[in-house]
Amino acid sequence: MMGPGVAWYLAVSGFLFGTGALGVLLRRNPLIVLLSLEIMLNGANLALIGFARNLGDGSGQIFALAVMAVAASEVVVGLGLVVALNRKRVTLDVDRLNTLRG
Amino acid sequence: MIWGAWICLLSPLVAAVLITLGGTRITRRTAGYLATASCFVAFGGALASFIGLLGRDGSQRELVSTAWTWISGGSYRSGLEVIVDPLSVFMMLIVSGVGALIVAYSIGYMDGEDEERRYFAYMALFVFSMLLLVQGGNLLLLLAGWGMVGLSSYLLIGFWHERPSAVAAAKKAFVMNAIGDATMALAFFLLILKGNSLEFGILGGEFSSTVATLVALGLLGGAVAKSAQIPLQTWLPDAMEGPTPVSALIHAATMVTAGVYLIVRTHAIFEAAPKIADLAAGLGAATLLVAGLIALVQVDIKKVIAYSTMSQIGYMFLGAGIGAYGYAIFHLMTHAFFKALLFMTAGLVIHHLDGEQDIRKMGGLRSVMPRTHVAFAVGGLALMGIPIFSGFWSKDGIVSAAFASGDALGYTLAAAGLVGALLTGLYTTRLYFAVWRGEQSDVVREHAHEGHGEGPRTMTVPVGVLTVLATIGGLVVIPGVWEPFLYWIDETAEPLVQATVTEDYATSVVAVSLALIGFFLARRAFEKGRQVVTNPGIWRVLEHKLYFDEAYDALFYRPAAALSVALRRNVEEPVVERSLDEIGSGTIHVGGEVGRIQSGLLRIYAIAVAFAVCVLVVVFVAVR
Repeated sequence: MMGPGVAWYLAVSGFLFGTGALGVLLRRNPLIVLLSLEIMLNGANLALIGFARNLGDGSGQIFALAVMAVAASEVVVGLGLVVALNRKRVTLDVDRLNTLRG
Repeated sequence: MIWGAWICLLSPLVAAVLITLGGTRITRRTAGYLATASCFVAFGGALASFIGLLGRDGSQRELVSTAWTWISGGSYRSGLEVIVDPLSVFMMLIVSGVGALIVAYSIGYMDGEDEERRYFAYMALFVFSMLLLVQGGNLLLLLAGWGMVGLSSYLLIGFWHERPSAVAAAKKAFVMNAIGDATMALAFFLLILKGNSLEFGILGGEFSSTVATLVALGLLGGAVAKSAQIPLQTWLPDAMEGPTPVSALIHAATMVTAGVYLIVRTHAIFEAAPKIADLAAGLGAATLLVAGLIALVQVDIKKVIAYSTMSQIGYMFLGAGIGAYGYAIFHLMTHAFFKALLFMTAGLVIHHLDGEQDIRKMGGLRSVMPRTHVAFAVGGLALMGIPIFSGFWSKDGIVSAAFASGDALGYTLAAAGLVGALLTGLYTTRLYFAVWRGEQSDVVREHAHEGHGEGPRTMTVPVGVLTVLATIGGLVVIPGVWEPFLYWIDETAEPLVQATVTEDYATSVVAVSLALIGFFLARRAFEKGRQVVTNPGIWRVLEHKLYFDEAYDALFYRPAAALSVALRRNVEEPVVERSLDEIGSGTIHVGGEVGRIQSGLLRIYAIAVAFAVCVLVVVFVAVR
C-alpha cells in the first residue's frame, strides 16, 4: 500500500473534527456554526475513507458518499433558515435565538 | 329461475340506495314510486322463481345459488347464497307481494310528510332485509337478515323521531329483539362448535340431545322475540307508534311472522328436541289467550289489532310447535292478507279522522266510509274464521292438528285454540261495532263534512286487492278436496301430525260456533254499554297488559338503573374521575419542571451532546 498509514489520516480527521466542534461550541454566528458543522462531518468522512482504504473495503466510501448527500441537504435547510432570519432582520446570534426555551 | 331470486332480493336494495343517494334531487313522489316499483319488480322475480319451481319434480325443488364465498376460516365456510325452495319462494311471494301493496298504499298515507324520502328508503331497506331473511341460503345469512329487519323495524317505529313516545317504542323493540338475536347467535356458535357448519342441512345431523335442546332453545328465543310471543311480547303494542303502513307491513304481515318461518325452516332441530317444540307450542297457546284477553279492553284501534296479531301468531307458533308446519305457514299467509287489510283500513279511518286513534271517540263511520267498511268487515270475518273467508281454512287446521296429535298436551293446546276463537270473536266484534256502528260520534261528525272521501286511489286500490285476497286467499286448502298449498310446503317440512278430514270439519264447526257466540255476546254488550269487559278489577288488570311491563320494569330496569347510579356515585366519581384528575394535574406539574431545562440556547445543547458523547466514549473504553 502506498502513501501514509491510516494513523495519519485519523490524525487529520481528528484535527478537523475538533476544529469543527470548537467552532460549533464557541462561535455565535449561525453561518459559522453551519460551516463548522460541515467541517465536523468532513472530518468523520475522512476517517471513514481512511479506514476503507486501510481495510480494502468499499463500504466506508459508500458511507462517506451518503454522509455528503445528507450534509448537502442539511446545508440547504440551514442556509435557508439563515437567509429567512436575515430577511426578518433578526440579529444573527444563536444565543439570542432562544424563543423555544421552556 | 334462480336469477329471479336474485332480482327479487336486490331490486329493493337498489331502490333504497337510489333514494338515499338521490336526496333532494328526486321529488318525494318519485321516491314513493321508486320504492313501489322495486317491490313490484321483486314480486316479478319471486313469481319467476315460483314458476320455475313449478316446472320441476317435487324432489328437485331446492336450488342454491352461491354468489361468492363470504366468510371462511379454517375448515369453516359460508357463502353468500340464496336458497330457492317451496318455503322460501312462498315467503318471497308474500313479502314482495304484500310489501308492494303496502308501499303503494304508503304513497297516499304519507303524503305531505316532511321526510317522505327517508320513509320510502327505510321501507325499501326493510323489504330487502326481509327478503334476505327468507332467501338466505344458510343460517348465517338468515341471521344477517334477522338483524337487518330488526334495524329497519327500529328505524320505522321511530320514524316520527320528534315524538318521545315513538323513540322510546323504537328503543324497546330493538332491545327486546336484541335478546332474541343474542340467543340465536349463541345457538349458532354451538352449531359451529359441534358441526362446523351453518348450512341448513347441518340441523338434521347427529347431535346429542343436550346440544339439540340448547340449539333449539336459542332459536326459539330468537323466534319468540321477533314474533312478540310471551315472555318477550311487550314491544309489539308500543311499536304501533310507527306509521300505520309500517304496522301493516312489518308488525302484522311479514317481520313478526319471521319467527314462524324460522321454526319451520329449522324444524329438524326442533324435531330432535321435542321438549322445546312443545315449549314453542305452549308459549304460542299462552300468547294467543293472553293477547286475546288484553285486546278486549284496548281503546286504541291500532293496539287492538296489534294484540290480535300477537294472538294470531300464537296460533302459528302452536301449529309450528306441534309439527303442523303446512298449516302454520298457511295461517301466516292468510294472516298476512287479512291483518294487513285490517291495518290498512284502520289507516284509512285514522287518515279520515286526521290522526284520531281512540275507538271511544269513533262510531257510526259506516255511512261515511261505506267501501272501507266493507273491507274492514271482510278482514274481521277472516280474522274470526267465518267460513269461506281465508282465516277459516287456516286457523281451524291448526286447532284440528293439535287435536290429532292426541296426547294431553295436544288436547290442552286445542282447547286453548278454541277459547282463542271465542276471544277473537269477542274483540273483533267489539272493535267493529265501536268504529262502524251506532251513533255518529262528535269527532266523526266534525270530519264528515270535510269531504275527504275514503282516501286517494293509491290507498284504496291496495285495500281492494287485499279485500279480495282476504276473501278467497284461503281456498288453496280445502281439507279432503283440494290441498295444493300443503303439498307445496310439505316438500320442505314434512308435517308430524295430520288431522283426518272428519276431525277437520268437526273442529271447524266448534270453532265457528264459538266465534259466532263471541260475535253475539259482543254485539249484546255493545248495545248495552259499548264494553265487553265490565268488571272494573279485571278491566284494570287487562288494561295494564297483565302487568308485564311493570314486572320487567321492577325486575330488570330498576335494579340495573339502581346499580348504575350506585356505581357512578361510588366508583365512577370518587375513583375513576378523581384519579384521572390526579394524573392530569401531576403531568402538568412535572412538565413545568422539565421545561425549565430547555434554555433555548443552541450552544448549551451542543455542549450537552458533546459531553454525552465523551461520557459514552469513556464508558465504552472502560467496559472494554
